[in-house]
Amino acid sequence: MNGAALLVALPLLTAFLTPSIGRVSATAARLLGPLVLIYCIWLVAGLWGASLPVSIAIGGFAPPLGINLYLDPLALLFALAVYVLILLAWPWTEGTPGQAALLMLLAGSTAALALSGDLFNIFVFYELMSAASFGLIIVRGERAAHLATLRYLVLSGLGTVLFLLGVALVYFHTGTLNLAQLAQMAPDKLAGAQGLAAFVLILLGVGVKAELFPVNGWVPEVYAAAPRWLSGLLAGLVSKLAVLVLLRILVLVFDSEQAQAVLLVLGLAGFVTGELAAWWARDFVRMLSFSSIGQLGLVFVGFGIGGAAGVMAGIAVALHHMLAKPALFYLAESWGGSLERLQGEARRAPLAAALFVLLALSLVGVPPLPGFWAKLLVVMGLGAKGSALAWATLAGILLITVVEAAYLFRLVGRFYSEGEPAHAAPRLHGWDFTRALLLGGALVAAAFWIVPLGHWLEGASQLAADVPRYITTVLGQGGAP
Amino acid sequence: MPIPLDTLFFAGALGLVAIGVVGMLASRHLFRVLLCLGLAEAGGNLLLVLSGYRWDSVAPILTGDLPVGVSMVDPVPQALVLTSIVIGVGMEALAVALLIRIRRAYGTLDGHALLARLREDLDERLGVAPDRSEDLPKGHAPFPAPAAKEQEVNP
Repeated sequence: MNGAALLVALPLLTAFLTPSIGRVSATAARLLGPLVLIYCIWLVAGLWGASLPVSIAIGGFAPPLGINLYLDPLALLFALAVYVLILLAWPWTEGTPGQAALLMLLAGSTAALALSGDLFNIFVFYELMSAASFGLIIVRGERAAHLATLRYLVLSGLGTVLFLLGVALVYFHTGTLNLAQLAQMAPDKLAGAQGLAAFVLILLGVGVKAELFPVNGWVPEVYAAAPRWLSGLLAGLVSKLAVLVLLRILVLVFDSEQAQAVLLVLGLAGFVTGELAAWWARDFVRMLSFSSIGQLGLVFVGFGIGGAAGVMAGIAVALHHMLAKPALFYLAESWGGSLERLQGEARRAPLAAALFVLLALSLVGVPPLPGFWAKLLVVMGLGAKGSALAWATLAGILLITVVEAAYLFRLVGRFYSEGEPAHAAPRLHGWDFTRALLLGGALVAAAFWIVPLGHWLEGASQLAADVPRYITTVLGQGGAP
Repeated sequence: MPIPLDTLFFAGALGLVAIGVVGMLASRHLFRVLLCLGLAEAGGNLLLVLSGYRWDSVAPILTGDLPVGVSMVDPVPQALVLTSIVIGVGMEALAVALLIRIRRAYGTLDGHALLARLREDLDERLGVAPDRSEDLPKGHAPFPAPAAKEQEVNP
């Protein structure tokens, strides 16, 4: 079980050592990171068989005094996704030791976010994740990348302030930062208006990274200015870890009707604005950025359903997006420029165009593909919830899905239309295409094994939504209410 | 009637946050935006310390000769605030370094002008820049960077 601490410590140690090793041998610095990532994947695979959920006290102090890591299937799945996606995105050819160090820092901090059971820990690793992503955007960027990063930094600084205000409110009422103890006290002490205010503050704070509706202005700028593989990583991975943190806080501490209503409204607003902006976008990368805002909005709508069904719906959308969006960003490597100039791309790059069609179909939600099942979970959850707000959200989602289909299929039509390709776009790098193909293949495989996957996800979601179980796992039987 | 001391502190902390946030939204100059962010962070930190503070207690340092009946201040918010201050300093250093780069590349720190230039730059990077007039100068930097300084800092 001690392997769990290594999941966080090893990448951080590697990040610390990489620049020094890079002075001696740049190749060694480039290879160390992937080796550690592969070892971490092996560690996760080893933990998978253990009896879950389990809580691990760090440093020998039992929670709530000490800090703990909480391992359940969902946390392990997200940790696994962190290592696999960063390994996939690894810049083998052009990476500098500095970039390798920052990527390992990102791996360590995001994995820690997946496993943390403590608001203090979450705050620290959230900031570390921010710092690592800022560094990665600017490390080789032009002036536009610097400016976009500064604007992102200021917004996320504002988010930090809001998050700390929320934490201060929570601490004022409960006197603890341990999530399990908070879950115990929340029904008594955080049920009122101040609890809701704390939730909204924390939501907006963490929502900056999760591309939540009012605080997502940085998304199109940063994704346009960053290298494509990094945009894929930020949209596919970093935002999802912020989502997981929000899910834990929501389910354990602020599980109320009002909190769910806030999520429904903000999620729907994100979905509507994101997809409409994507419809107006004139180039491929911005279209992907806005569509990512829309998909994240759908995740929040899923969480707004509440209960295990809501957790399952939101996580399903998030996992689907985690596979589809990095693949699209890898494909974007050769499809820069105005969308109108992509006329007849299917003849120039038939495989890439076919892969795009597959991903687009899944994003819109065409039946056998996983995107359909994820969207179906959201729609059915909203229908089962049955409140007026839920019905309104349902109508909005169905309506805007038409817009989503319109802009994606418009592009598909352009790919397969007659006419010469208008420009000599740079050819897609073979490795970029392979990466996209791997992710697309995972999506198709998920479509074939959708029933066992669904059962597994249902079990994991029920476990994540089981608050008494969480409390007894962390605090022992004495913590039982 | 005297105002209780802790009310004053709470009001001060919230006031700092309010001044900071309003300042961030209202300022055009990016350096001012950063300063306001610093103010808001200070307010947030103060509020966190207050959330666990007790006026009749002593500092949470184990010296072994704590008199009976005297309690200690809760150390958790203080540890959190120390961490938050350190993180804030790091972030602000990064931000100021970025500001210097931006000033050198764009020749201005005015938020509105920079936003317009950022849109242009990104459009160009993504290949959707509108066709420029022949009269306009081509190239990237209408405000030439001071060449001597540039070499000094970027050897």
